[in-house]
Amino acid sequence: MAGSAFFRVRRDSDGLAAMLMLAPAALLFGLFVLWPFFRGLWLSLTRWDGFSAPIFIGAGNYLKLFRDGLFLGALENNAIFVVLILIFKNALGLGLAILLDRALFLRGPIRAAVFIPVTLSFAATGLLWSWIYNPIFGLLNAALDLFGLSGLKQSWLGDADIALYSIVVVDIWKWLGFHAVIYLAGLQTIPHELYEAAKIDGAGAWTRFRHVTLPMMMPVVLINVILGLSGAFVRNFDIVQVLTQGGPNHATEVVMTLMVKTAFQDGNMGYASAMGYALFLIVALTCVLLLGLMRRTKVAL
Amino acid sequence: MTALARRLLRARIAGRSLGELALVYGLLAVVLIETLYPLIWVLSGSLKTKEEVIANVWGLPSGFVWQNYTEAWRVAGMGERILNSVIVTGTALAILVVAATPAAYAVSRLAFRGRTVVLAVVVAAMLVPPQVMAIPLFMTARDLGLINSRIGVALIHAASNLPLSVFILRSFFLSLPIDLEDAARVDGAGRFQSLWLIMLPLIRPGIALVMIFGFIEIWNDFFLAFLLLRDPALQTIPLGLVAFFQQYGSMWNLYFAALTITTLPVIVVFVLMQRQFIAGLTAGAVKA
Repeated sequence: MAGSAFFRVRRDSDGLAAMLMLAPAALLFGLFVLWPFFRGLWLSLTRWDGFSAPIFIGAGNYLKLFRDGLFLGALENNAIFVVLILIFKNALGLGLAILLDRALFLRGPIRAAVFIPVTLSFAATGLLWSWIYNPIFGLLNAALDLFGLSGLKQSWLGDADIALYSIVVVDIWKWLGFHAVIYLAGLQTIPHELYEAAKIDGAGAWTRFRHVTLPMMMPVVLINVILGLSGAFVRNFDIVQVLTQGGPNHATEVVMTLMVKTAFQDGNMGYASAMGYALFLIVALTCVLLLGLMRRTKVAL
Repeated sequence: MTALARRLLRARIAGRSLGELALVYGLLAVVLIETLYPLIWVLSGSLKTKEEVIANVWGLPSGFVWQNYTEAWRVAGMGERILNSVIVTGTALAILVVAATPAAYAVSRLAFRGRTVVLAVVVAAMLVPPQVMAIPLFMTARDLGLINSRIGVALIHAASNLPLSVFILRSFFLSLPIDLEDAARVDGAGRFQSLWLIMLPLIRPGIALVMIFGFIEIWNDFFLAFLLLRDPALQTIPLGLVAFFQQYGSMWNLYFAALTITTLPVIVVFVLMQRQFIAGLTAGAVKA
């Protein structure tokens, strides 16, 4: 008895100090994270124009999402975005990291140079690329002319069939250095003896990569995948808004741009909230699935 | 040259052929061109006349048209935009550090009931991207009268950066030896004194890391500013750039100048600080 009472006193001995120290953070967090989060959850269960009294409709908004062609189209675009970005950012990022790891001189400056796009805003990046893609005097079409490939010239952002892929390229361009730098740091933690041992056993370059580099890098791959995943799902508003605003004819619409349109152009706050939470659920589920999958493949490697 | 020769020699010893090195540098050159050429292109375009931008897509400017810069500064209202960005980012970072540091200290070093709950909430909150609750955030800001308020945007930025910052700072607090603080407590220092006088100077690198991450995120933010800052006079740099582009789409040379004015300082700061920046980033990611 005495012991447990003593323990309790000890455990809470800093109660007052802790409360005071947590107070500013708690206030900020409560007001701008916790409260909006639960309020939005409630809003997503209502029909609401933002001004009159919200009408409770239960799961109505969520059921409507399943039948909404625009939403499903945006979700499909999101999925294409995610898959392409995960594959290319990781494959190219790891490839670039291996190159940097093998570079004997100028490694630091090159690493800094490839990281520069990461520090640019999406607004600046998007505007820069909208000029590169400009069909009349953009850099890309000019480059195709220069190499005698004029037949490949496109309206990169105006053609509904390729606009989404054009945006994906921009996102990869912006983040490649970020992923490469993280992979490089991971590569440098692999002990050199492992490669030596593999070499003595007669393993070629590909076998060494497959059986030493890749398994040792799995935790870093996981970090890169998780970072890329949430980015590709929810942080693509800026780039799409700046480059195409979701057009032409919704060809590049993603859930975030559709959500903002639904809220502020159609004045449908409840439905827009439901889109946000549905997207959040999908991201969370994908993360969990991917984590499980990667844990299993890790054993297989 | 001798240093280079020594490195090449070491490469030979490590079993790497010169052919492999040539391949590595050849591929790196391709990556460098693909990364840097568009930026150089903007810089060179910013010094051309409007006609030359179209007539001479590839080449360097025939003469330097410096007045593109003064003109872009005036037309795009750069001074105002930069001031707005400084106010939003500065206020947000100040609030963030003042709120996150004591909170991180409390969850890592203080004994109080509910500590595990607080920690769990911090971790859970890191998994909820603030973008998905854009609509309720907008409503909350409206109710609090924070639409078209730079301080309001700063408060929301500080709040959404809070969980990650507390998490980062906590790892810095945990890495400090506990004896340090025990000694101070024996000398009669309270928890607040201990935080202020002993811990704070030691976790400066952690605070720097939080501020670097926060700066990049908040300075470059488009989404939240787009939602909350509707008054053109209050717009930050990213919003201003996009508005300028949509309004004066045909003044390409000015537009390249505006892009240079806003991106060059960030690139220069990054290049100067890149060692600390990349070290902080990779330490966080590879250890975690």
